[in-house]
Amino acid sequence: MKKILIIAKKEFLDMFRDKRTMIRMILIPLLIFPLIMNVVTRIQSSVSKQQAAEKLTVGYIENGQTIPSVSRMKTEPNFEFITYSDSATLQNDVASKKINLGILYAKNYLTSYNEGKQANYTVFYRGADAEEFGRFEELLEREDSVLIDGRMTLMAKNYSYIEPTNGNFVNLSSIKEILAKYAGGMLPYIFMAFLFMGCMLPAIDLFAGEKERGTIETLLTSPVNRAQILIGKLIVVTSIGLMSATIALIGLFISLNMLQADSEMMTAINSILSPTLIATLYILLIPLAFFFAGVMIPISVYSRSFKEAQSILTPLNIIMVLPAMAGFFPGVELDYVTAFIPIVNVVLATKAIMAGNADFVLIAITFISLILLATIAIWIAFRQFGKESTILR
Amino acid sequence: MIKASNLFKEFKLSKKQKQENGTSEEVYRAVNDVSFECKPGRIFSLLGPNGAGKTTTLRMLSTMVVPTRGTIEICGIDIAKNPNEARKRIGFLTGSTGLYERLTPDEVLKYFADLHDVSKDEFEKRKEHYYTLLNMHDFRSKKIGQLSTGMKQKVSIARTMIHNPDVVVFDEPTSGLDVITSENIITLIRNCKEENKTVIFSSHIMTEVDLLCDDLAIINKGKVVFEGSMEQFRTGMKSGTLTGEFIRIVNQSN
Repeated sequence: MKKILIIAKKEFLDMFRDKRTMIRMILIPLLIFPLIMNVVTRIQSSVSKQQAAEKLTVGYIENGQTIPSVSRMKTEPNFEFITYSDSATLQNDVASKKINLGILYAKNYLTSYNEGKQANYTVFYRGADAEEFGRFEELLEREDSVLIDGRMTLMAKNYSYIEPTNGNFVNLSSIKEILAKYAGGMLPYIFMAFLFMGCMLPAIDLFAGEKERGTIETLLTSPVNRAQILIGKLIVVTSIGLMSATIALIGLFISLNMLQADSEMMTAINSILSPTLIATLYILLIPLAFFFAGVMIPISVYSRSFKEAQSILTPLNIIMVLPAMAGFFPGVELDYVTAFIPIVNVVLATKAIMAGNADFVLIAITFISLILLATIAIWIAFRQFGKESTILR
Repeated sequence: MIKASNLFKEFKLSKKQKQENGTSEEVYRAVNDVSFECKPGRIFSLLGPNGAGKTTTLRMLSTMVVPTRGTIEICGIDIAKNPNEARKRIGFLTGSTGLYERLTPDEVLKYFADLHDVSKDEFEKRKEHYYTLLNMHDFRSKKIGQLSTGMKQKVSIARTMIHNPDVVVFDEPTSGLDVITSENIITLIRNCKEENKTVIFSSHIMTEVDLLCDDLAIINKGKVVFEGSMEQFRTGMKSGTLTGEFIRIVNQSN
């Protein structure tokens, strides 16, 4: 045990002195979410403000009528209405972005309205500029309400006449449940992606890197068993992976707080991230970290150089992280089949715990299957590390 | 003391390797029935052309690879039965030995001293001895990545000797090094002899062998083709020069 700790201590020191490790394992996971969220929200708010302030030019054809709606809409701030006489020109100008939108009133629009019939109009818009259409649609809906009010007054009726029923819908799901269902896959996904990436760099550096630098020979002639060397390094690989994933979660939590989401939402998030959930997540993720390390180490041991190991392990990243997306699909739940599928089982188990409907037996199956898998992976790693043809390749 | 008896080392060939080497053999025999003995206070040289089996032999002696057959004793310890006890008595150095670039010489020496169970007092004593002997005080706390090749080699020497090994294995220790750095290694080998250590080193540079060794074995295609003292080698020479004689023996065995 003493020798294992000596090796682990040295490897931690070595890894923490590596700028690449510090940036990729600590700085990026910590800053990525606050940075992304900050930038996205800033951009979103600035774009929304800009769009709201932007004047929309709407071309219209009244077809020989004087439509009161047009006169009312002309008074709206940030809208400019230009009259057109030809529908083809109007459509061309919208399509070529000369103006933003177009509206063509039917010839019998006013007659129809006054007779209590449905009055028709056509709106020309560009689907690619959905926000422009959205703003105009809102204006048209407001105008529609004015017209309905007019008819109701004329008929001496109130609104309930055309809306005969009024449903009262009561949501009995808590925000916590809703969050767990729709965003529940996110937490284990993030954790797993960073866990994998966190394990990768030390796994490469501590094995392929050691071979490339020529330090492995010295280590192999020291009075320490290969199993001790492997375990010492394995501890470092998994610890840095878990550290990186934890830092990413902290970063995510910081960014959620930065968003200043409404207090009910934050209370729900806080209650989801309970000590029980975090502890369960770690119980499931520790064997998964060993499994990841067990998969990466034989590849790294086999590789002649850092670059070779990196070129094999990087595509593996996608293969490993793809199953983690299982949590995003509705209807995919932890059962007696998915509990045996590594990665998928962790994501689904976490999701179930978050939603408060976890089955203890399935969680236990998940945990045991992960331990078994990690043991097999480490055994393969040990076999590979013990092979002279591989280690001194 | 090192005692190697009937050493064999075979490597399984892959299909690709068989095709490349144009052979149908399942294995490649890198070391073929090699036996020799290295005594304390004497320098033993393992000579041979490239690919003769020198490095494989030294790797077996230093417990890095396991012989297919045969036995090795280091200071009376059978390395197959008790590899860790044997490793405590071995120092291993090559010309291309790498070091941990992000650590300082102090940290590297402490790491290997800890792995060799060197007591704290003994470590401090030996560390200071080598820092003074090799003039390392100025860069003891600098990261190894920032050091020159010569400085790095000094760290490697101190690392090899920090646990005071009885047996020191040098695999082409001066290969690729400049004259000044090589001189440090040659001094170290001489010091080891004075301290009654068993020294074995591989080389293909005859002048280096002539300068240092007491006993030698010439190895070619995995087999020992000459074994004896330097004096016996000189006495039996049929060529005018040491290098000429070395080439003659190798060619004769081909």
